[in-house]
Amino acid sequence: MARHLYNKIEQQQAPAFFVRGPSPLARLAFFSFLSLALMASDSRLQYLFSMRQSLQTLLHPLQLLANAPTQIYRNTAEYFSTHDRLLNENQQFKKRDLVQAIALQKLNLLAVENAHLRQLLGAQSVLKESSVAAEIMHVGRDPFSRKVLINRGQNHKILPGMAVVDAAGVIGQVTRVYPLSSEVTLITDTSLAMPVQIERNGLRAIAFGHGRDNTVDLPYLPANVDIKRGDKLVTSGIDGVYPAGMVVATVKQIVSAADAPFARIVCLPLAGVESHRQVLVVSKPHAVATGSPSLSQPVKLGLAQPVPANKKQARPSKPLTLKETHAR
Amino acid sequence: MPVNKLKTMYFSVLLAFMSLLLPWSQAALVVRPDFMLLVLIFWLIRAPNLCNVGAAWMLGLLVDLAAGMVFGQYALAYTVTAFLAVTYQRRLVLFTGMQQLLYVFSLLMVAQLMLLIIKTFAGWQFSGWSYFLPSLSGVLLWWLAMGLGLNTGGRGRAN
Repeated sequence: MARHLYNKIEQQQAPAFFVRGPSPLARLAFFSFLSLALMASDSRLQYLFSMRQSLQTLLHPLQLLANAPTQIYRNTAEYFSTHDRLLNENQQFKKRDLVQAIALQKLNLLAVENAHLRQLLGAQSVLKESSVAAEIMHVGRDPFSRKVLINRGQNHKILPGMAVVDAAGVIGQVTRVYPLSSEVTLITDTSLAMPVQIERNGLRAIAFGHGRDNTVDLPYLPANVDIKRGDKLVTSGIDGVYPAGMVVATVKQIVSAADAPFARIVCLPLAGVESHRQVLVVSKPHAVATGSPSLSQPVKLGLAQPVPANKKQARPSKPLTLKETHAR
Repeated sequence: MPVNKLKTMYFSVLLAFMSLLLPWSQAALVVRPDFMLLVLIFWLIRAPNLCNVGAAWMLGLLVDLAAGMVFGQYALAYTVTAFLAVTYQRRLVLFTGMQQLLYVFSLLMVAQLMLLIIKTFAGWQFSGWSYFLPSLSGVLLWWLAMGLGLNTGGRGRAN
């Protein structure tokens, strides 16, 4: 191939300055038409999705290679992080684990009680979801669209439409799935809308990404709406995409102009939309018929880490308080 | 010599593509120059018999793929830019360093304007003048490369 090309170039060498094949204008017309056709078929007809998937898979090793320097740097930095810091961190994690274990015990009880109440009411199903842990590979190439690529894809049973969360709240939604990676649109992107509820009073609204400065808007709420600075927005779960009750954002600013029918409400996302690397991809909640759960077989809570509840219950639950752990 | 040149070209394109794939974030992402387009313009000026409008189109598709955008956006922008670059390529021999910088800057701007037009058609909102920062950083990079002794053609180097 190269040899052939070489010969061709060699032959062309002398007159190349004047003879250059089809004129640039002809080439421009041809390739512009081709681009326009591609754009139309990609955005309107979605013919090219499988091609994009396979090409993206080919690109994956290159992507990993490009990520390697930062990965190595981070690993080295972690390796040389001081003993003290690790100990500190460990202690914090232990404390948090204890607090959460206690909360989880209560939650378990509540879940069982809830299931019983549901049965009494005759409600047939609860929503359950499962999750996959993933890591953000890189922030989107286009600085003006809020998208990230995560390192889990079709092969890890990720489907488009799944919600992506981290420890602090909702990050976004999976919009494109490739075999080994998938694209997540963040809640700050203009193209993403999610149904939310104000935690304080249960008021329902739809949150839209603002797109520019990492905020979320709550449009279409009347100027006299009962909302305050610092109110927490949680997912309402009525869309069947996001699990209900996940924290999304806090209200940062409310501007109600006299001449506008709607208040302008700016909210700040709570999840580390720009900073975290570890995320959780949560599947769409699906209805599961309630059996007769008992304490010995705890209801599996999708989001919570699978803490063996039985073991926790074997511990002396009452006397173990936070003070005690501080004293240790 | 041409084969060597061809190899260098492929290598430089690969390098540009890798720097595109690097995990850029926050401020760096906003000012990051379009490496692919810079390399493309360089080869369009230096070796128009090897690298022409078609090559620009291919590279544009590659960038589209990497950026996860609709296929054809970057391809169209690069094609138009390459056409302009090739059309004025012969006149470029007479350009001094400063003139060449202006020329490269206008090419980069043309590419960005094309992208802006296409994106606007797709319903995207213009997000302020920082959108054009990559052109500025790109031309700075070109200037730096010239200062470091890269032969970018033109009169400045020939003398």
